Amino acid sequence: MEMDSLPNGNNTTGTPIAAGAGANPTAPPSSNLPQLTESLKLEHQFLRVPFEHYKKTIRANHRAVEKEMSAVISGVTDAAAADFSPDDAVNHLNSLVSRLQGLKRKLEEGSLAEHLQAQKCRARIDHLESADADNLSEWNNTRLKRILVDYMLRMSYYDTAQKLAECNNLQDLVDIDVFQEAKKVIDALQNKDVAPALAWCADNKPRLKKSKSKLEFQLRLQEFIELVRAENNLRAVAYARKYLAPWGATHMKELQRVLATLAFRRDTECATYKVLFEAKQWDYLVDQFKQEFCKLYGMTLEPLLNIYLQAGLSALKTPYCYEDDCTKEDPLSQEAFRTLALPLPYSKQHHSKLVCYITKELMDTENPPQVLPNGYVYSTKALEEMAKKNNGRIICPRSGVECNYGDLMKAYIS
Amino acid sequence: MELSSIKDAFDRVAKKQKLSSSKSQEVVDQVGREIEQALATIQSPHDPSILDQKSILTELKSKLNAIGALQQLEGSHKEWNQSLSKYQKLLEKLFNPDISKAYRNVDFDTHIINQIIASHFYRQGLSDLGDSIINEAGEPEATALRSQFLEMHKIIEAMRGRNIQPALSWVTANQERLAKIGSNLELKIHTLQFVDVLQTGTRADALKYARTYLSPFASINKDEFQKLMGCLLYAGRLANSPYSELISSTHWEMTTEELARQFCTLMGQSYESPLSMAVAAGVAGLPTLLKLANVMAAKKQEWQEMKQLPVPVDLGKEFQFHSIFVCPVSRDQGSDENPPMLLPCSHVLCKQSIAKLSKNSTRTFKCPYCPAEATVAHCRQLYF
Repeated sequence: MEMDSLPNGNNTTGTPIAAGAGANPTAPPSSNLPQLTESLKLEHQFLRVPFEHYKKTIRANHRAVEKEMSAVISGVTDAAAADFSPDDAVNHLNSLVSRLQGLKRKLEEGSLAEHLQAQKCRARIDHLESADADNLSEWNNTRLKRILVDYMLRMSYYDTAQKLAECNNLQDLVDIDVFQEAKKVIDALQNKDVAPALAWCADNKPRLKKSKSKLEFQLRLQEFIELVRAENNLRAVAYARKYLAPWGATHMKELQRVLATLAFRRDTECATYKVLFEAKQWDYLVDQFKQEFCKLYGMTLEPLLNIYLQAGLSALKTPYCYEDDCTKEDPLSQEAFRTLALPLPYSKQHHSKLVCYITKELMDTENPPQVLPNGYVYSTKALEEMAKKNNGRIICPRSGVECNYGDLMKAYIS
Repeated sequence: MELSSIKDAFDRVAKKQKLSSSKSQEVVDQVGREIEQALATIQSPHDPSILDQKSILTELKSKLNAIGALQQLEGSHKEWNQSLSKYQKLLEKLFNPDISKAYRNVDFDTHIINQIIASHFYRQGLSDLGDSIINEAGEPEATALRSQFLEMHKIIEAMRGRNIQPALSWVTANQERLAKIGSNLELKIHTLQFVDVLQTGTRADALKYARTYLSPFASINKDEFQKLMGCLLYAGRLANSPYSELISSTHWEMTTEELARQFCTLMGQSYESPLSMAVAAGVAGLPTLLKLANVMAAKKQEWQEMKQLPVPVDLGKEFQFHSIFVCPVSRDQGSDENPPMLLPCSHVLCKQSIAKLSKNSTRTFKCPYCPAEATVAHCRQLYF
């Protein structure tokens, strides 16, 4: 399969050991700007999430303003139609005036909040712009931390996420505030309370409808099942009439299945319905909510860490990584990484890439490989060094075989 | 990456928002003024036969209608909406809107990932972050490397404070293992202290130090030792001597780094965090994988089940840990069953290609690269 290959280049990688204690990062090799540009294109979520938040805030504020203004105007209309005494009229108008004053205050507060969020969006654009050859190592470092915070927020490890963001001044670059909103709903769901989740659905009704989400339906179903569990069958039926019936048109089969639980008790052994009473259903609801939430904010469903790790592990995976003598510098020499990489495809090479056993450097046309009489190969650099220190004698570090520098043969690898 | 168009588009959105905001304030003010005027009219002394509150209210109602508050609000909000969708479209054009397209639905055990993250934090010296995630994630088993990394960081911290004692005790405790990897770390650490004494103390002090701590290395590291002895001539003014590099701050840093490297080697760990490396490889390789996934979009099954990527993913030099030989004729990768073989003309082919060219070892064949002829017997297996 032919595809345009990216230029081979260097990308600064790992953090130096004492990065946490503020040591100078090791100087990056010559940076590869096209590769940097490609990696910036992966940051859609980075810009989209605060933007969605900003949109939401503005829309909510706007709706509140419309509502108030509409109420004031109809207040005037009603007053004009009704029969008020002068005093009543004055009182009525005064109340409208104070409502408007309240509205003005709210407008100002809202404007401030919107401004802060706009600043956050801008700060992120600036951050992307700030990446260049000079600070590449540190910028990559920050990217790793952002990715880790994203992972921890998805997994609900809020404390660690907060700590990591604080000790590196990442608050503007991560979405902790957005996830706080999710936390409320998730905590409630884990306590078997659907109210915050339903409120969230109501808040986001138009967009959920657009994406044909059935989250609200599933929340209602669960409430219904809880009523059945508590043997409140009459209330359950009333509840179904009010909240579940509207979904019948689109989700009849599922509705019927759940309604059938009315015929069973909560400790039924019948498999089809037993599963509906299990506590695991709440976990399923939490997952569904998380999915809808991420979709709404333009976030990937999987944590960024998983996405990057999968790509990286696959790109690094070779059969040699799983051998016992795999160099420790290879991440895939570690048991944990090996396990993660097992189901992933191997990487592929179209051209030979040879690494000198002694220096770990690439053996290319500038540093060609040389062959000992027994077939073992090392780089010219390494062999020259060895010969210099040993009066022209070469000793193979792996087989122990000795020979002279003059006995070596150059190999031509294309 | 050219981000000015994004910045401009967002500036437009923010500007429209400010306009909309001030318009809202304006409208609220307008409506408020009309109501207050009506209030004043009702409350001011006038002939009740000419104006009664009902007509004032009716007039107010029509005035408000004329202002059309709701329409004005709607109008400016709509303009803001339009600038919004332009920005969003621009985002989708310039950035890849869905980087999860290349994701495979395989089992990615969160326990393993949590352990990897915890080890990463311990390695960076961020023990409390490591503890924090272990706590929140509930992974009590993940603390295997914690104490070792903690020890390493204590030593490094001490070195930063120009205190070589913890480093020395560690080196002494691990003398044998360090000797096995050919380390001369002990001498290097003593060098740091020796140079310090030369700078701050007297020549006599330095000589005493050398006699006590440096002389054991006199025979093993002859060159180094002699160099250090030469420093004695320049006590107090090393900055102007040929040995000035020894007092530079980078010297301490380099020695500290070498210590960290050897510490990791003895631990059987890499120097760089494997998590950083893997993620960096992912960042470098994901664009290619996304392109690939796009091309293969119709064949989802094939994507999920492939055993090897069909295209090479170009990472940098620093991600090359293994020698991969690719036969220039068959494009197969070298393996135990199909190793690389050196032809007498110095070109290299894989065994199977040679077998094919030589019609299964019977005839001489021509190297595909040069006109030289060879037989299978003359080909040697290579070990990279």
